[in-house]
Amino acid sequence: MITLDTVIYNDVVVMDLIIFVAWVTGALVLAKILAIYMKRSFSDRISKPELDKLLKVIQVMLILIAIYFGFPRIEVNLSEIILVGGTASLIIAFASQKLVSNFGSGLFLLIERPVKIGDNISIGDVSGNVEEIRILSTIIRTYEGIYIRVPNEKVFSSDITNYVANAARRFQYVIGISYRDDAEKAIGIISDLLEKHPYVLRHPEPSLFVSELAESSVNITVYIWAPSATWWSVKTEMLWKIKAALEENGIEIPFPQRVISFSGENLPDPGKTAYKAE
Amino acid sequence: MISTGRLFHIIFRKPRSWRHNYIFPASQFSFVFGEYDYSFRFESPEIVAGITKSGNFVVYERKSPDESVRKVIGSSAGKVIVNPVEPVNLPQEITRFLEIHFTPVVLAPESENQIYVKFPVEIAVFLESKGNYDVLDIFSLNRPKYALYGPPDQGVITRHFESEVFDDIPETDACREGVMELTIRNLTRGWIEVSRVVFENTGIYIYYGDCVSMVGQMDIFSKTNAETKTLACPLRQGMNPAIPLFTARKSLIPENLTFLMEFGVGE
Repeated sequence: MITLDTVIYNDVVVMDLIIFVAWVTGALVLAKILAIYMKRSFSDRISKPELDKLLKVIQVMLILIAIYFGFPRIEVNLSEIILVGGTASLIIAFASQKLVSNFGSGLFLLIERPVKIGDNISIGDVSGNVEEIRILSTIIRTYEGIYIRVPNEKVFSSDITNYVANAARRFQYVIGISYRDDAEKAIGIISDLLEKHPYVLRHPEPSLFVSELAESSVNITVYIWAPSATWWSVKTEMLWKIKAALEENGIEIPFPQRVISFSGENLPDPGKTAYKAE
Repeated sequence: MISTGRLFHIIFRKPRSWRHNYIFPASQFSFVFGEYDYSFRFESPEIVAGITKSGNFVVYERKSPDESVRKVIGSSAGKVIVNPVEPVNLPQEITRFLEIHFTPVVLAPESENQIYVKFPVEIAVFLESKGNYDVLDIFSLNRPKYALYGPPDQGVITRHFESEVFDDIPETDACREGVMELTIRNLTRGWIEVSRVVFENTGIYIYYGDCVSMVGQMDIFSKTNAETKTLACPLRQGMNPAIPLFTARKSLIPENLTFLMEFGVGE
């Protein structure tokens, strides 16, 4: 009859085998719980196929660790396995240095979250919207609609500009008006126009001031805060509206111009000329 | 002289069920929120909306100064529900937060005050059939304005509205504004000046009856921290609950969300 003390081989008894199986089962359950938790936490940060891959890798690693620590219980000698495995690991590590680097970078990107899916970013010389954040790479769709795959190592080590990471952002216009026109009136017209636009934020409020007495114009600088989600449409929409509103109110936006005065000494005297002609 | 607001009116013909509809007083509006069949019509100097028969189609059309909407409705068996909804949808939905700026109110330490403020109203046209709702259109007679609550890196974009403070339910132009009964509790041991309140708009409770209303609560923990929420109770008995948009859109958002104001309750 088989009891808990029944020897299976060497000093390994049935009880040892049960403990080993329970240990590995526990690891399986833990891996499952971890997968559920990670799915909840990361589902909005990473695409589903990539998340599934990541979860599988983590689950397998967890189970392998459990088996590794469980082996002594069933007297499996790991020294040879470690020796062979260690050597193999070194070879694999050298061979897949880039792969591991990208994988590690991918994990750090998920933790640090400098970019999210849908963000409007610039990495190095690549600008566009983040389509996917994969384990090894980040997919960007440029503004021209081109697919670009950037290795995560590059993403991680590059300067990242995220245009929509903050809730709101500021942009500016410099509007030049003629020296003959009233700058205060122009500021009032522009302010009224900005007030009517829903996405020109009330707080922080727009800032308008005469910033420069330039060669051809009096320059008014306009700082506008807009929601990051809509700033581009506001920027492209408002400039022409400002121009139209100013012109409608008789304020001129001048071309570059230069007033040339001639010195009186060098000019012929019109009176004398007329006298001589007589 | 009659106000511009009073000129706006909605004319709904042949309402299917008068039981759930409320007609605003004739002195104010010929105005009804509630359930209708496919022959309703909304008319104001700015916006005209309605459903018409066009051949075999039933067509919803709205004309506003800035846009025109035309939608073909695939079934003529449903009904139309017109309700006031959370005012964060126009021109497009970019935030979940409603911010009301009001005349500063100074609160004594550990005190509770009840004030009334106005909030903007957006009007939603829902289609309903067999218990399923869908949003057909949302429009408003208000000009929306947005703001940033908090710093750019941590704050949130809010639908911004400025209101006076009233000690009793103010008269409102129900097409444009609702009334919020706001209970402010100063839980600190110092005087606090309050001039703004921000609500998480998903899961707010709007009621309609003789006016559009909400009941809100604001607990102030310090000059920079307060918790806000709206309560699932009408301003007056007999008011009808409006359909929350998150229900109609079947969004998986928990009801009655509170919002923690972390960037101040004053200017």
